[in-house]
Amino acid sequence: MQTIQLKKPVTPDLTFTQWFKNVYNGVRTTVIGMGITFKYVWDVKPVTIEYPEVREELPENSRSRLFNDAQNCISCLQCAAVCPVDCIYIASVKRPADAEKIKTKDGTAIRLDLKQYTIDTALCCYCGLCTTVCPTECLTHTTDYEFSSYTLSAMKYDYLAPDIRAWRTRLVKD
Amino acid sequence: MSTHTLEDNHKIILGDQEILKSDLLTLNMGPQHPATHGVLRVEIKTDSEIVVDAIPHLGYLHRCFEKHCENLDFRQVIPFVDRMDYLAAMNMELGYALAVEKMLGTEVPARAQYIRVIVSELQRIASHLMFFGTYAIDLGAFSPFLYAFQDREDILRLFEELSGARLLYNYIWIGGVWNDITDAQLNRTKTFLDTFEESLKKYHSLVGENQIFIGRTANVGVISKENAFAYGVTGPVLRGSGVKWDLRKDRPYSIYEKFEFNIPVGVGEKGTVGDCWDRYHVRVLEMFESIKIVRQCLDGIEAGPIIGKVPKIIKVPAGEIYLRTECPRGELGYHLISDGGKKPYRLKVKSSCFTHISALPAIAPGQMIADLVATIGSIDIVLGEVDR
Amino acid sequence: MHNQIIKVLNAEVSGCNAVLTEATVGDSFITVEASSILAVCELLKKSNDFQFNVLQVITGADYPDRMEVSYILASYIKNLEVIIKVKLPRESAEIQSVVSVWVAANFQERECYDMYGIKFSGHPDLRRILCPDDWSGFPLRKDYVVAEVYNGMVINPAHKINTADHMFAKKLKEELGNPKLVSSSWKDAADTTEVKEGE
Repeated sequence: MQTIQLKKPVTPDLTFTQWFKNVYNGVRTTVIGMGITFKYVWDVKPVTIEYPEVREELPENSRSRLFNDAQNCISCLQCAAVCPVDCIYIASVKRPADAEKIKTKDGTAIRLDLKQYTIDTALCCYCGLCTTVCPTECLTHTTDYEFSSYTLSAMKYDYLAPDIRAWRTRLVKD
Repeated sequence: MSTHTLEDNHKIILGDQEILKSDLLTLNMGPQHPATHGVLRVEIKTDSEIVVDAIPHLGYLHRCFEKHCENLDFRQVIPFVDRMDYLAAMNMELGYALAVEKMLGTEVPARAQYIRVIVSELQRIASHLMFFGTYAIDLGAFSPFLYAFQDREDILRLFEELSGARLLYNYIWIGGVWNDITDAQLNRTKTFLDTFEESLKKYHSLVGENQIFIGRTANVGVISKENAFAYGVTGPVLRGSGVKWDLRKDRPYSIYEKFEFNIPVGVGEKGTVGDCWDRYHVRVLEMFESIKIVRQCLDGIEAGPIIGKVPKIIKVPAGEIYLRTECPRGELGYHLISDGGKKPYRLKVKSSCFTHISALPAIAPGQMIADLVATIGSIDIVLGEVDR
Repeated sequence: MHNQIIKVLNAEVSGCNAVLTEATVGDSFITVEASSILAVCELLKKSNDFQFNVLQVITGADYPDRMEVSYILASYIKNLEVIIKVKLPRESAEIQSVVSVWVAANFQERECYDMYGIKFSGHPDLRRILCPDDWSGFPLRKDYVVAEVYNGMVINPAHKINTADHMFAKKLKEELGNPKLVSSSWKDAADTTEVKEGE
């Protein structure tokens, strides 16, 4: 048998002065509250921005969509190793000894030809660990945040495809 | 499906008389509910409007973080640790980083320590603002929600400039922090604190002193001191019940010994000690104390490196550690067992919200259903931390 | 403090065999016999020297030869903290519940049962808490393998795994004939193992 004890609300007997005090308290606190509300109606500038006509500027190191500058990648596989969700797929082939010697932007020799560099953006958790370990800084976070798509397979970005390589003109400052 | 049954011969006593009772009705405050702060399911057995039993069902957000991090390096665990209590991510990262650093014996440079405290306390303010806004909206007041979020935006914008993300930062690393904080950002924080302190006083007079709010939260959801210790509640819930216990003062970690601040405790100002109003008031006063701490940090921050010497591949020596820190929701404990390898052997997270939700069957009976909403809101749970 | 606890436990609770493991790295802990855990907990809560009035967490750990359950207690009155460990056999791990000492043990023991399969005798309501009630297997055990199907739904369906991307390097190696020329972030020894090189 479970016994539930309800608490009888302990109110002192309601006298005349107490009744007026209650009314005064109620009105006073309501007036204070409404004063604050009206101040916000007349006095405070609205903080809403009218998206999509007005877009907010994200800070420069904002961690949104990734971009890999494939021509500067040396296939060190560090980004794939550190990724906590294993969303980076890389495959590369050793360049033959007699091939032309190519270098990255900052002078490191490129010894491997990148054949596959795909990031599954749907799996990516945007932690930024891959960008910190990239030795040539070819993998960076951009400030693009509007990239939803209709299918999951469209979320897999192949950074060797020409249409994604074309982003380089907008994103990379040489 | 549960084996927990309640006999249908309950008695309801008001004062000294037994009142007319009706049959028990089982209500489901389902996983999708605007007032449960996440995917929490509470099975409520009610006698007309009076709650006779409230049984929480958890596990709707269970992602088995503890098993997953047995396959991750110590550095890779940090983005996942964020995602447990996503509204207080900096505090989650700080606890984990302190636990690993204590095992490794790394020394964290002074500037990194100051930045960590600034970020943790600002995160505490942001989390309490979220509590303030959502608690008011649970009880029907819409404007405080937007006012609170306006101030929270300033904090989140600073965090975005520091770490790159607004909610899940991956900022506090093992050995220090990721990015440095510039003088311009420090000055902006100072001006923010000054304006915010004035606004907070206004918000408290708008919500906390309002007679309707007091009517709905005073004498509701009372957790007595004995119940508080028996159920192991911590943080603002424990302080609301009158116990002066704060890990930042009683078992200091990081550099909290250098700062002067008070510990607000609930005294039953508007009703009984340990009711919802007390827990709300403790959190508002904690915001004022956090402002004090950040101001002291801004005055005392030193120049220097922001990350200490940490090996490229982190191997924690064999042993175990239990480290607890004061998070906005309570005490967060990390029990880390390492076997000397590159990955944690066992990382157990003691989440405060999990313990708080276990106290619900003790404090809910005898109230109305609307009071149950006020109680659940005042405990301030985040299901990401409950279910991990 | 640990040595004092050991002395008191060995004196008052017969058969508990309290042993201290001093740690150079991290925290030291006290190991007791599994059969005496209820008496040990009651003593630690009631004793005037320690007054461990709060149970913080009950965790488990799975080792190849045993299962360990740790009880982390705290005294908010004396500002103390201690870890009590218990060793159990891996098959049929069973131990007495301490719900009668601290009510906080209710949810903690349910989680330990859910994750490891350790049965707590005397628990009022021992059922799964985080996993669904009809889940099979105990997730945090080291030998846990996820079921293929749950209630008619396929766990990890094939079309959600990026198999083509994982197999790219393998196909490349076959094309070129010399596998040493290809370096990749996915090992292709068995088809869907997700172990990476370069770690």
